[in-house]
Amino acid sequence: MITKKQISEVVYNTIKSSSCNISEDITEAFYSAIEKETKENAKEGLKKTLRSIELSKEKGNLLCSDTGWPLFYFKVGNEANIEGGIMALEELCREMVAKATKNGYLRSTMKHPITGDDPGNNVGENIPDFTYKFVDGKDLQITYVAKGGGSECFGGTRSRVIAFADGIEGIKKFVTDCFVASVRAGAVCPPSVLGVGIGGTANVAAALAKEAACLRTVMSCHPEPVFAELEKSLYESLNMLGAGIMGAGGDTSVFGVNIEYAYTHIAGIAVATSTNCMIARRATFKIYDDGTVKQKDTPNWFNGR
Amino acid sequence: MAEYYLNVPVKDKDVEELQLGDLVYLSGQVFTCRSRLQKYIFDQKNKLPFQTDDRNVLIHVGPVVIKENDEWRLVSFMPTSSIRFEKWGAKSVSEWGLKMIVGKTTMGEETMKAMKDNKCVHVSPQCVSPNLWLDSITIQNVYLFDELGTIEAAWHLNLNKLGPFIVDIDTEGNNYFDKLDKEISANLEKVYKNLGISKDFEYTKLY
Repeated sequence: MITKKQISEVVYNTIKSSSCNISEDITEAFYSAIEKETKENAKEGLKKTLRSIELSKEKGNLLCSDTGWPLFYFKVGNEANIEGGIMALEELCREMVAKATKNGYLRSTMKHPITGDDPGNNVGENIPDFTYKFVDGKDLQITYVAKGGGSECFGGTRSRVIAFADGIEGIKKFVTDCFVASVRAGAVCPPSVLGVGIGGTANVAAALAKEAACLRTVMSCHPEPVFAELEKSLYESLNMLGAGIMGAGGDTSVFGVNIEYAYTHIAGIAVATSTNCMIARRATFKIYDDGTVKQKDTPNWFNGR
Repeated sequence: MAEYYLNVPVKDKDVEELQLGDLVYLSGQVFTCRSRLQKYIFDQKNKLPFQTDDRNVLIHVGPVVIKENDEWRLVSFMPTSSIRFEKWGAKSVSEWGLKMIVGKTTMGEETMKAMKDNKCVHVSPQCVSPNLWLDSITIQNVYLFDELGTIEAAWHLNLNKLGPFIVDIDTEGNNYFDKLDKEISANLEKVYKNLGISKDFEYTKLY
């Protein structure tokens, strides 16, 4: 059985790790961008950001003061035996978000949308948010994503439904225009990963875009050639913009473009984008049925990517 | 591109010589501000509980702070996007006598006009490096903590050569990002072409 005690410890460590450690693929993206950068100011900005990332790991301190919306993504074994069930899991997650906030690993950022009430612990109506995938086996994989305010607010996260007649051209146009708006003046803290969701209802496309941005590794290709090619052409084209780090001019405006899709209604195609922060926060731990716990660098949310 | 080490209170002559793209390091006493403070003062007609004459630099930031042994410790600090505070930007500049706003992104037209009238500049970091800045910042005090909460309270900070920040709005109303926007817009044409998006593309009107 996966016990409540174990879940509490692992959830807390997942949040803490997300706030203080960057995954290998994002670190590699920084190194690659530094090597390619031809503008001295941009190169310096990337180097300073990477140095701050290294200090976060060394000192166990926050990567960024905006610790974002608290989002949990679970891969739950179909036969997992979780003490207290999924309701207990969610309650323990809320408790650990509050504890991590009290201990300075999360900023008290979540507030009532109308009254402005700040509970001081990042826990409120429908927050934190929980997303599940059910898989074979008995294990429980916990991923925590901190989705930053800038990356979510400034035009990089949008959706619209286009007509079939607009097709791939309409998709490219919408994604490009959203992205350009979002990197101007460094609003979403570029460069970062751009997620795109295509198809399904608007909320399905939006969820896919967010998962593509936050859970897939940088430069992982979609297995279907039509999407792999679209990812590649958008990545290469958007990096011709010259927006650079913090939108102040530079060669790398986007670390990667990840696309996920769903079949859609003949009526139209939902297209959604989600930009992540340059400081892309995610951490994954897996609790095995025999009680062992392992940290994983990638959640492998979409099989193999 | 020049580098400047400025002390707060910042003088007119200090900011007047700053050009777009110059780098600034700041020392002295400043305060933090987010929208809840501006709403509390300007919309709800409360009085700012401190003087800004000698503290004429405002930082748009929601710092992470925790209390240890009855003392505040700054955990993290990253300036946030100024444009979202545009609604109260002009009032903040003119009524608080600001000479410099530290933030991210940019300010809108109304605030830029007030900045020109009041000789005020906007500066922002060109990286996300909170861990490189912590040693340059000391918490002095906090105002309106109970009323506004931890991250929207007005924190008084003492800075020691905090920076570099790039000057992106100067005292003449010039904007670094507006200039860059022209380059990006020109590049956008190439992006459309590369992606095969025709110049006259229009979405089918569905609504």
